[in-house]
Amino acid sequence: MSAHPGPRARLAGGLLLWYAVLGGAVAWAVHLFAAWGVDELTCASGRERIGALPLQAVVAIAVVLPALATVGALLAAALVWRRTAHPPEGLDEHPVRRSRLLAVVAIWSNLLFLAIIVLGGAALLVLPPCLR
Amino acid sequence: MSTRGGIAAATGTEALTTELPVGRSTGWWGMVMFVATEATLFACLLGSYFYLRFQHGGSWPPGDISKPKLLVPLVMTGVLLPSSLPVVWAEHGIRKGQRWRLRAGLAATLVMGATFLILQASEYADKLREFTITTNAYGSLFFVITGFHGLHVLVGLTMISWLLAASLRGGSFGAHRHDRVRNAAIYWHFVDVVWAAILFTIYLSPRL
Amino acid sequence: MSTTAAPAPGASRQDLTLLEEHWGERPSLRSWFSTVDHKRIGRRYLVTAGLFFFLAGVSALTMRTQLARPESRLLSPQEYNQLFTMHGTAMIFLFATPMLFGFGNFLVPLMIGSRDMAFPKLNAFGYWVFLLAGLFMWVSLPFGAAPNAGWFAYVPLTERVNTPGLHLDVYSLGLLFLGIATTAASINFIVTALKLRAPGMSLNRVPLFVWAIVATAFMVIFALPALNLDNAMLFLDRRFGTHFFDPGAAGNVLLWQHLFWIFGHPDVYIIVMPALGIVSAVLPAFTRRGVVGYPLIVLAIVTIAIISFGVWVHHMFATGLPRLSYSFFSAASSIITIPSGIQIFAWLATMALGRLVLKVPLLYLIGFIVTFVLGGFTGAMFALTAFDQQVTDSYFVVAHFHYVLIGGAVFPMLAGIYYWLPKITGRMYHEGLGRWAFWLVFAGMHVTFFPMHLYGLFGMPRRVYTYRSEPGWDAWNLVSTIGSYLLAIGLLLVLIGVVHAIRRGRPAPPDPWGGDSLEWSTESPPKPYNFPVLPEVHSLHPTWDEPSRESMGAGATEDRILAEGRRTLFTSELDGRRERVVEMPEASLQPLVLALALLVFFTTMLFAWYPVAIAAVVVVAATIGVWLWPPRRPERELGVST
Repeated sequence: MSAHPGPRARLAGGLLLWYAVLGGAVAWAVHLFAAWGVDELTCASGRERIGALPLQAVVAIAVVLPALATVGALLAAALVWRRTAHPPEGLDEHPVRRSRLLAVVAIWSNLLFLAIIVLGGAALLVLPPCLR
Repeated sequence: MSTRGGIAAATGTEALTTELPVGRSTGWWGMVMFVATEATLFACLLGSYFYLRFQHGGSWPPGDISKPKLLVPLVMTGVLLPSSLPVVWAEHGIRKGQRWRLRAGLAATLVMGATFLILQASEYADKLREFTITTNAYGSLFFVITGFHGLHVLVGLTMISWLLAASLRGGSFGAHRHDRVRNAAIYWHFVDVVWAAILFTIYLSPRL
Repeated sequence: MSTTAAPAPGASRQDLTLLEEHWGERPSLRSWFSTVDHKRIGRRYLVTAGLFFFLAGVSALTMRTQLARPESRLLSPQEYNQLFTMHGTAMIFLFATPMLFGFGNFLVPLMIGSRDMAFPKLNAFGYWVFLLAGLFMWVSLPFGAAPNAGWFAYVPLTERVNTPGLHLDVYSLGLLFLGIATTAASINFIVTALKLRAPGMSLNRVPLFVWAIVATAFMVIFALPALNLDNAMLFLDRRFGTHFFDPGAAGNVLLWQHLFWIFGHPDVYIIVMPALGIVSAVLPAFTRRGVVGYPLIVLAIVTIAIISFGVWVHHMFATGLPRLSYSFFSAASSIITIPSGIQIFAWLATMALGRLVLKVPLLYLIGFIVTFVLGGFTGAMFALTAFDQQVTDSYFVVAHFHYVLIGGAVFPMLAGIYYWLPKITGRMYHEGLGRWAFWLVFAGMHVTFFPMHLYGLFGMPRRVYTYRSEPGWDAWNLVSTIGSYLLAIGLLLVLIGVVHAIRRGRPAPPDPWGGDSLEWSTESPPKPYNFPVLPEVHSLHPTWDEPSRESMGAGATEDRILAEGRRTLFTSELDGRRERVVEMPEASLQPLVLALALLVFFTTMLFAWYPVAIAAVVVVAATIGVWLWPPRRPERELGVST
């Protein structure tokens, strides 16, 4: 049997689990406030540019970066799911089963949040940013 | 038992199933949840500031009000933000059972917090000559946001004085009993961090 | 009746006497005011919320009587405005959430195998504040000073120039006062569920009702501040002349709507979510199997709680914002239907795969599914913007949200009342009476609200105190009124059934239904200490599995009996590993004193007696200071170095 992970590895592993579970939700929240806020406020001020960038590009960034973060969380969730499928002998089964539940929840919730971000982003291809 | 590090260890079954968070007290969770709901309240308040400002369009502050001056608020920041340090120092002290550090740290924070409030009062006296809470929405926002935060500082100072009184009595805190100190400390740090957000919103953002 | 015999208590007679001594309360006037027992507090929540439901229901009946015929003169427009505002405000804030929190208060410690909530005194305080805030708002009605601008109180109608008088001050102060109770209860639920679960109850074994209550509590923590801020601004605008909502002085009326719906949309789920938790808790007993797809229902609960914060703008599609920014909210509004659908299909699958036991609670669950799905169907119709603009502010909207809220919240609550009545009162209800009540409530509900779809489509606006005779309006309005009386008779039968059970009901065994969660392992009604032996949980359905049941029987060690003092166990946050034994607080009058001081504060703010208000604040601070004052301990125990 391999050696146990050190405290730093444990901390990193525990944080990775929470990134898997909540990453999609946080990314979507950031996306919503950034994309909505930027669009709303820039249009209200009567402009369609922010500095050198066109408004559409800024909103696109607010779509793509959170989407990537969600994909990362999805991958992390898949990793936890695989790692809890056949736990090594002699490991306490409580945390493994609990993490497996969280992994299942994480995989589906990240897919949902990815769908929301992508659907919202698709509107960017169709609608001019300040059309009312 | 040997331990290992690195990415392979952090993504192994055992590390990924580490229980985190763990071992916190009910008081800690209660205070963290309370601070979370309070933080949401301040987020809504500052969000309302930006909403009204950008929906207003024209020059900001509106009317004849000049942009806020920076000197006094920066001094206030210089007093309030470091006031978290004595609290940290006091908390670490009582964890080792050093009661003198708890008392000295709390007293220092008390002085710094009180100084902040006195400076805020002088700032208000200055502002009230220019505009009041009823002048327009900017005046309402300015006084409600800073006033609400000032109220939180006052509540925090009450908590600190209460802790100081309890620790001066003796028989209250020690290495095994310091939940109340830590919970009040969480609140005080929160009040500090909110001030940084207010400094940015009210005083710095109109100059951007 | 009982499918399984009650396990022999694993605690000795001597331990039971000790436990009774530490946890029991001798009935006295003082103990009535000072109790911190979560079961008594939970019962009080249920009864008080029931009282406010009764008052709001009588308001509704009065309005239906007025609307039975065109041009009726029973109510003046002013009275009608106050009645529909109080009806909505009370149903949402004083009935739905407190009723469900009442179930939560009674059940959460029992379901997770603990002896009380994490903060028992805070729990008592929350109840007193809820009671006083509810009375604060209702008392204004006989004085003709009740809120009168609808439950969402849009500015500029609610500004002082447009609505003078105390009406909206009662609304804003009353909701701020009530918000203290709701926030306190929410924090209590979260911490209780994190720290007081029985050993072995890791996250994958937490009952779905507890998941639902905790998700609701998190929603309250993050949604309620928006409403509180909104009401504080409204009060400041009205009383102290600020200009937050005044476009003439750089304010904005839409700010009210944004803040209100940032709270308001999650609030729809705050009301429905624990009710759906009741559905998941009641189903196993009447289908003889666990709910299908436990992880998927957990997923649904968690994601609905989060996504509900990102859909508020869909209440404001008529306000003219850039279309692109709508699309971000539309995406969330569309996707949130997926987890909602998952839950419904999981329940249907549970019913399809299980063996149905057609008792009254299950009847209400079936009634819930039918009604809630119809309400969801009309909800989807609003997503067509053209249709939405056509029926906005008509009776079609009234029909829709009564289907959602009566279907989605009231039916599950009624199922819960019948299901847990044996546990709460120790008595069985009368099955025949329960069935009559169900069919009257079900029929009355549909006869009342289905016609509202029709006269809504025929153009009848909501919130009118009377109407001229129009084709299609008169007859259907009369049908609605008749239906509302049927519904009232049905609900009266529910009340009679409850009273009958308490007075005449057969004594209930510990587990009359063969339920799966831990509350069915306690006596009916539970002892003040809930469990003689704190259980050890080995599965998701502890009352159905042998090792968990045996853990409460003979052979239990002292470290799970804890008879020496008023004690319970802390376990770890995620895996429910045993951490330490803790001492729980005793009964106290401080919660009541604190709540009364707050009542004085809000009342004096209402009448502008500010010096008294400041004095009340001092009393509040002093009470909290005494409440939390650390007891004097010996230096050795504290660990002081000199």
